[in-house]
Amino acid sequence: MMYLSSILLLAGLLAAAASFFYTLYSIFWNALRIPEKKIKMGLSIGRRIYLTIRNVLLQGKLFKDSSGGIMHALMFWGFVAFAGYSATFFARGIVPSYQLIPAGLFKDVLFLTVDIFALIVIVDVGYAVLRRWVIKVPRYQGYNGFEASFILFLVATLMVTYYALGVLRLDGVSAGITGAIMEGIPASYTPISGFFASLFPGISGSSGLDLYWILYGIHAIDFIVFLAYIPTSKHLHLVAAPLNVLLSKDTKPAQISLIDFEQQKRFGATDIRDFSWKDYMDFYSCTECGRCTYNCPAFLTGKTLSPRDIIWDLRKVVMEEGPKLRHAGIEEKDKILTPVIGEPISEEDLWSCTTCMACVEQCPVMIDHVEKIVDMRRSLVLNQGKAPKETIETYTNMEMYGSPWINDPSTRGDWAKDLNVNILSESQNDDFDILYWVGCVASYDRRNQDIAKSIVKILQKAGVRFAILGSEEKCTGDPAKRTGNEYLAQNLATANIETLNRHKVHKVITGCPHCFNSLKNDYKEMGLEMDVIHHTEFINQLISLGKIDLKALESDDKEKFTYHDSCYLGRYNKIYEEPRTIIKTVTSNFEEMEMNKSKGLCCGAGGGRLWMNENVGTKISHKRMEMADKVNATTVVTACPYCMIMLDDARRVMGKDEKMQISDISEFVASRLVQN
Amino acid sequence: MPLNIIVLIKVIPDLEQIKANASTGEVQTDRIPLRLETLSENAIEAAVQLREKHGGKVFGLIFGKQESAPLMKKAYAMGVDEGTVLTGYGENNPMHTAEVLCQKIRTMQFDLIISGNQSADTYTGLLPGIISSKLNINLLSNALTLSIDQATITVRSSLDRKIQNLSSQLPAIVSVTQETNQPRLPPVMQIMAAGRKQIVTEAAQVADTANVKRISNKAPKSERRKQLFEKTDEGIVAIVKAIKEEIR
Repeated sequence: MMYLSSILLLAGLLAAAASFFYTLYSIFWNALRIPEKKIKMGLSIGRRIYLTIRNVLLQGKLFKDSSGGIMHALMFWGFVAFAGYSATFFARGIVPSYQLIPAGLFKDVLFLTVDIFALIVIVDVGYAVLRRWVIKVPRYQGYNGFEASFILFLVATLMVTYYALGVLRLDGVSAGITGAIMEGIPASYTPISGFFASLFPGISGSSGLDLYWILYGIHAIDFIVFLAYIPTSKHLHLVAAPLNVLLSKDTKPAQISLIDFEQQKRFGATDIRDFSWKDYMDFYSCTECGRCTYNCPAFLTGKTLSPRDIIWDLRKVVMEEGPKLRHAGIEEKDKILTPVIGEPISEEDLWSCTTCMACVEQCPVMIDHVEKIVDMRRSLVLNQGKAPKETIETYTNMEMYGSPWINDPSTRGDWAKDLNVNILSESQNDDFDILYWVGCVASYDRRNQDIAKSIVKILQKAGVRFAILGSEEKCTGDPAKRTGNEYLAQNLATANIETLNRHKVHKVITGCPHCFNSLKNDYKEMGLEMDVIHHTEFINQLISLGKIDLKALESDDKEKFTYHDSCYLGRYNKIYEEPRTIIKTVTSNFEEMEMNKSKGLCCGAGGGRLWMNENVGTKISHKRMEMADKVNATTVVTACPYCMIMLDDARRVMGKDEKMQISDISEFVASRLVQN
Repeated sequence: MPLNIIVLIKVIPDLEQIKANASTGEVQTDRIPLRLETLSENAIEAAVQLREKHGGKVFGLIFGKQESAPLMKKAYAMGVDEGTVLTGYGENNPMHTAEVLCQKIRTMQFDLIISGNQSADTYTGLLPGIISSKLNINLLSNALTLSIDQATITVRSSLDRKIQNLSSQLPAIVSVTQETNQPRLPPVMQIMAAGRKQIVTEAAQVADTANVKRISNKAPKSERRKQLFEKTDEGIVAIVKAIKEEIR
């Protein structure tokens, strides 16, 4: 029995390891050989270590959903501790009397931890079963198949047999035999096993030993099956996710990569070769947890878009076509690879995305869904000229008028004509400190011109020497870029960069988070270095420097304020506190809506959606207004012209215009300036 | 059967950017960016779709000015194979325009001519008819759909209150409407390829007959009331009332 068990254990482990590594080889072959998309990766070692400690070891991002997060974190920590036990189990089982971990305090504490965590893991499995099949947490529904139940079964069995073996050890059954795993660990260091042993005292003799070997066998087989099963299932994330976090691109704000139209031959993502190796790591890291989908504004309002399905569908194609390509030869890409758009990923889903980044923000393993969606949009737009009809019209306008709407560009600065503003297209007077980048919406949209006027009022009050570009300003290209028309986006950016350089602009303030993100991040990628500030930041600075004073709200005022986070300000550029600080300097009648800050619900306008019809499900902006209504807000403060258009429209359509108003943070401030 | 299709493309100043002098009413059209007439884009799209289905070649013809030439690039990007820009366009004179185009067309092999049914800058809508008469080929106007079988073209033609099906032997001339199709967004490869393609420019060989003279070109006077209704409900009632009064 002694040697047979050693041989069987070794054979099983080798078979499992062979299967494990072969599957990993084939998976990594896919990731390293198929992708043709090149990506830029910064080194940022410090940041990578930080992210790995925070998001892997401490399971940081999982706690964005605290009830699911605690469950997973305990399971993870339990598994880390249990790895010590498993290593000992196999070492000892294969080489009798071999001490993998030398006896001593470390070993004792390790096994104490194992003994406690094994129980936690069992309770955790129960909790997981409860969440999946009893409470029926929505995001798991439809994803509760064989994989989910089988893995929970394996985990539970591993832990139960651990305790059973522990009980037999404490009862003295396994003393002195091969595989006496925890020999030498004081009984006081395995208190939970001790408790179970007290429930089953005095098992001994040959029947005890038979029981021991049966349990030993089950435990070993369980582990071996688990090991072989990992890379073929969604539990590949055990291997891929920590790597994915370590190799994360998210060491700076969300970026859509540039296309080099002179060099590149393929544009956007048509089939699986058009993704990067990092995208493949994203596919492998997904566990179908569904946090992305259940925070997606499109999904939450009845559209069919599911970021989880996008990732999982792409992974399935990789897993199916990868081995075919490996066998046929890498040069057979044109024959083997099939387009991923249409089937399995529908065009409608791709166009539903608002690029709000809620999915990316929520993903515990740092998957970037949005760039893949934009890449697939690029494939449609740049290769096939396909986009929603309204979007194609928007492109024409951006090309003709430098604005998404049909607007005579010569009238762009007209709103400022009577405001004593230096309009550079007219004055060509470069004697200014800061350029106020107005943006298309605030330049042309009647309602949003009030935002521009408020910003001017604040800047003038604070004595800032500023100018606007007037008719020399063009759309930054954001709506083109996010809808996949990189060609148009780059043309607009090139023209704007030329203008900004000509006027020697070093510092820009803008009231539009989309312009802000383009100027600050997208243009930087194209080589323009400028200090770019959003008006929320700038106004906050002016207040704290005492350049402007605001009238506090009367205490008996009935007004109630809430703040709606712009995605491009918040999740893209991590500006959450400034607008709230500004509001709170004026009033304490402030209440957060549900889904705020990093969980903020999009208004529905990003990713070019402002210029598309929203015909499926409820309108995202309406859902947001319901949230504002729930906290009885009389004023929803925003910091983005896109949000202003969406929410102001929702307010009217929903008949809330009597009791609720939408006010930009600049309007909020400008109307409360102390005149002195 | 591979088709030789000529598509007539009009270049016009962008009407959105045309300004009128408020006091004199004089319209300023110089220095206004040029663009392809929208219906010309529909014509290009129809031609390219037929080429994609039947094979052959799409030949673009612009009668304009020297400055119109770069606009042919957009036509190339949309799928036009070859193009010529005839220069010498002066005033709106459909008889003259037709003569210039026909003289060029007579030197070419073609099965089908496609054009927009009118253009947004002049609105005469005469050109397809005049060309039809000059070349002695049938005109199938206001086509909503176009299909070709052997040497016969069939169109669903949109008239004021009805739709009729017309067919004719090729060669023929077809005019299209905005409803005919959705002009494509050119793929970027084609945009870049279009930039490298040659644009042939030829001076029109026919002198303007000058049988149409422009006496004046003024914007109609319009006085803005500049009334702003902040409240939707009251605003709608007031605006409806104002419109009713104007109609009377």
